[in-house]
Order: sequence, then C-alpha cells, then structure tokens
Amino acid sequence: MGAAQVFAVIIFVVMFLMIVLDKIERQYVTLGCGLLTIVVVFAVCMHSGEVILDTLAFKDFATAQFWYQVTESESKGINWATIIFIAGMMVMVEGMAKAGFFRWLCLRIAYLVKCKTIPIFITFMIMSALLSMFIDSITVIMFLAAVTIELAQLLKFNPVPMILSEIFCANLGGSATMCGDPPNIIVGTSLGFSFFDFLSNTGIAAGISLVFCVFYFLLVFRKDLISKSADGDVDMSKLPKPKDAVKSKKDFIISSVIFGIAVILLVTHSMTHLTVATIGLFIALITLITAGKGAIELIKKVDYKTILFFIGLFIVVSGLEETGILVFIADFIGNISGGNAMIMTAIILWISALASAFVDNIPFAATMVPVIQSLSASTGMNLTTLAWSLSIGTDIGGSATPIGASANVVGTSVAAKNGYPIGWGKYCAKLAPATLIVLAISTVYLFVRYL
Amino acid sequence: MSQIIISVGREFGSGGRVIAEALAERFNIPVYDRHLITNIAEKTGLTHEEVEKYNEAPKSRLMSRRVRGFSNSIEDNIAEMQFEFIEKKAAEGESFVVVGRCSETKLKKYKGLVSIFVLGDMDAKTERIMNLYNLSKTEAKALIEKKDRKRKSYHNYHTGLHWGDSRLYDISINSTRLGIDGTVDFLEQYIKARIEKNN
Repeated sequence: MGAAQVFAVIIFVVMFLMIVLDKIERQYVTLGCGLLTIVVVFAVCMHSGEVILDTLAFKDFATAQFWYQVTESESKGINWATIIFIAGMMVMVEGMAKAGFFRWLCLRIAYLVKCKTIPIFITFMIMSALLSMFIDSITVIMFLAAVTIELAQLLKFNPVPMILSEIFCANLGGSATMCGDPPNIIVGTSLGFSFFDFLSNTGIAAGISLVFCVFYFLLVFRKDLISKSADGDVDMSKLPKPKDAVKSKKDFIISSVIFGIAVILLVTHSMTHLTVATIGLFIALITLITAGKGAIELIKKVDYKTILFFIGLFIVVSGLEETGILVFIADFIGNISGGNAMIMTAIILWISALASAFVDNIPFAATMVPVIQSLSASTGMNLTTLAWSLSIGTDIGGSATPIGASANVVGTSVAAKNGYPIGWGKYCAKLAPATLIVLAISTVYLFVRYL
Repeated sequence: MSQIIISVGREFGSGGRVIAEALAERFNIPVYDRHLITNIAEKTGLTHEEVEKYNEAPKSRLMSRRVRGFSNSIEDNIAEMQFEFIEKKAAEGESFVVVGRCSETKLKKYKGLVSIFVLGDMDAKTERIMNLYNLSKTEAKALIEKKDRKRKSYHNYHTGLHWGDSRLYDISINSTRLGIDGTVDFLEQYIKARIEKNN
C-alpha cells in the first residue's frame, strides 16, 4: 500500500470518527479532511495537479452535459449537481414553509378525515411518504410531527406511535425517488439515472413496502391509538383551521405553483433532458424572484452547513477513489460473494442498511457509489441492480435506530421538546422490526425482478 | 430592587446547593434546582426519577446525533428545556437563584447575574457525603468523582467552556475555609455590594 493510499484511508477514518463523535461541527470536519486530502494525498503523495482539478470538478459547470444531458454520464470528484439541486430545493422548501404550505396541508388532511385518530394515522403516514418523495424528510417531519402533537393534545391521543410511523414512512418515501433522499441524489447523479428510473425501480419496492408498513403499524400501535375521547364526537371547533395556517394567500399560491413546477420538471427530466442541477437552480431562481424582498431572508435560511459538509465529503471520498482503495473494497466484496449475483446484491443491500442504521448514510452512499462501479466492472454484475440495492439499503437502514437518518433525529427531538421523549428502546422496539420487514421485502423484490 | 440572578455552580459535596438555598432565603427569591426537575417531569410525563437520570447528564455521543439544531438525545432535550425555562424567567425580569445548568454562561447577558462557583477540599467533601448518604470513605470519594465528572462533561458540552474555570465566574469560593454558614454570610455581603452597584 502506497503512502497516498495510507493517508487517504487515515483521513477518511478520522473524518468518520469525528462525524460520529460530534465534537466539531460536521461541515468543518469534512472540509478540513477534504483540504488534507488535497494537500497530503493529491499534492504531496501523488504530485498530481490533474487529480486535484478533477476532484474539484469546476470544469463541470462549463460543460453542456452538466445542465442538459442527452446521454447518461457518470461524474467524478465533487458532485456539484447534487449540491446545486439540494441547495435549490432548500430555497423552495423555505419559501413553502414561510407561506404556511406544510401546516395547511397537514390540517387540511386532518379535516378531510374529520379528525378521527385512525384515519389521521393512516393518511399522515401516506402523506409523509408522498411528500418525502420530493421534499427533504427533515422538513416533512418537522411540520408533520408538530401538527401531530398539536392534534394529539386536542384530540387526546398519544402522538408517539404516529410520529414514529411518520418518520419511518418519510424514509420509505424518500427511497422511492431520485430526489427523495440525499443518497439517491448521489447515486442518481453519479451514475446518470433519471427520476423515472428510480420511481420505476426503488419506487415500486417502496410502494409495496408502504402497504405492508401501514398494516404493520396499525397492528403494533392499535392499542396506543385508541383516543381517550370517543372518536365519534370530535369537537372540531377547538381545532386550528387550515386557512389560519396560510400566512399570505399570494405567497401560498406562488409556493404551491413552484412546487408543482418542480414536481413536473423532476418527473419529466428524462424527456426534457434537463439535469437535476438545472432544475434545482431554476426552482431556486423562480422562488427568489417571486419572493421579492423576502428573497434575502430565504437565502439566509438555506442550510449552508449541509452544503459545505457535502463539498468536503466528496473530496475525501475522491481521495479513496483516486488512490484505488475503493477498488480493493469492491474486489473484496466480489471475492467473498464468489461472483454470485444474489450474494453481491444481498451484501450491498444489508451491509448498506446495517451501516446506515448507525452512521450517516450520506458519506456511506458517496463512498459506496465508486465501490459498486468497480464491482460491476470487475464481476460483470449489472450496475443498476447494485445501485438499487445501495439506495434501498442506505435509505431504509437509516430507519432502524434514532440516529440512523435525519428525519429520526428531528422527529424524536420535536416529540421530546413537546413532552414525549422517545428513547432508543421505545424507538427500536417498533421501528427496527419494520426496517427488517422492508429489507426482507426489498431482498425478495430485487431477487425476483433483477436476478 | 433591580433584577438579581444568582448562579451557583458547585462541586459535589461542597454544599453548593445548601448555600444556594440559604442565599435564596436571605434575598427572599425563588431557587431553581429541584423545581426544574419537577417542571420538566410535569411537562414531559416522565417520572421524577427518570428526569433525575437525564438531569445535568452528558449525552452519549455514540448514541446520539444532532441535525440542524435538533437532537435525538433525551439528555440534550431536557437540558434545552431547562435552559429555556431559566432564560424565560430571566427575560421576564424575575430574580432567582439557579443551581448549575450552565447558568453562568447561559444567562451571561443579564446585567443582574452574579455567578458563583463553590468548591471544597476533598477531605471535607468526602466527610460531608459520608454523613449525608451513609457511605464509606471510598464510596463517598467515588461518588464525588463520578458526579463531578458528569457535571463537568455536561457543562463543557453545552457551553464549550471549562467547568470550574475561575474565569467563568464572578467569584469562586472554597466552602471548607469558612464553613457553609460562613460562606453564605460572605456571599451575601458580596451580592449586596453588587446589587448596590447595579442600582
């Protein structure tokens, strides 16, 4: 093993440990480690200015492919498409939140089902999954959990089962599309997949799993869901009205239209050939233009820490990629599976799930994309099957523990702050089995459909 | 009288809590310590014992994660609820004594804050804990070390500053020198002087 490889591995391991230990904010960790990768691995050990330029990937912006993509292509280094898309969607989501869209939607649905506990439970789960297909799960859960607690206090039911189910469905919904969960955006933009590719592959697995999950959660939570007040005579006059959630009718209409445009652009991007980077940028621009004076406030609310975290992360992972470490890992997986497609698929799915249950699934996915590329190249295994295994594994595995995915942290935190603390025991008792069920369904799905 | 907030940080066994209670009585203001536990227990539906378990406790770094200011750790959320509670009381202009809870840092912006750290000689603290909890010398020492380690970790995590560092407090005092009553008398004079200066 050469010096470059040793340093690349050390930097990567230190970065991962520091993210887990959470002593220093994670964006500083990845940026610092990214800088070390450039200086120590690329400049000092490899003496390669070319690798540095490839990793920084600034030239991507100047290529037509980056904005308008007719043929599928794979990217290297910093995945700017992911970063621009996530930033663009953040701007849009901030605009929607400011206009009161999410709260309005939650209350509207609660009214549609006449504020009855079981129907709210089912519709909120489905809404959580559907919204998470297009919007980051943190935002979805932040609003859903808050409204769930508000309704629970008024309707006298325990909100914890509902919040746990919403968290799970948000992660499940996120796995269904290219823009639903950051690992999918990374997989999609790195390997040149479209929104529709995800929807027709991981989306079907998520859809089947959702049906099972609704029944599972109804079964395990049925006792907790029985309202203290008779379900039949809910006094809806005490409940907040959906229209009160709308802070400005004009902003509400504009943000709803922009969201609609975003969904249409994403669904049709394989036909229009617009890349997710173009869509992200376009959506951000129209949100900012229509926001007028409020644009600065929206820009300030963008989560820059996450954007910086991504930039540093991609550089560190490039260190492993450029030094050939990820090929070692791919060869190792290829060897232990003996070239058997079923074993390889299962390893990628279950190892991704296990890792994502305990560590941030974004660095994991970013690292695994080049691994599955190498694995496919060396064994002849179909890359798309491995990609779906990786996506489903990272997205679903994260649901198993309270720290596995961002939605879990936000949901349990909102619950705790409102007087409903959810510890590891309570969380894992219900969601770890649900995760195993979905992983089992996904394994069967992958085997039957692709192998 | 203008607002006065007396923040009392303390080593376990130094008598800091008793000193805080005595100061509250002398200035006729409420003391927030056990009250913070009761308040959180009422709000969360947890039992007092459960809140006590998470109270002034550091979170497990391996078992918790923070995302955009949200944390899954119950310790973190209970700590934040307590910080919000004392911050709200301070913002409302209330005068009070608060024991621990990183209050010397969290309430730093309030002009009426008097921050005190009470420490003590190990022998004196051990003796006090032996009598209070009916423990052997070794057990008492171990308990002191354990509790102080927990407080230090909690404080340093939530403030990024060093627990017990004299630069954080207006006054650091060893309660072994004057005894608990003598320390209260001394601190009362100091606080009165501060109140006079503020007025």
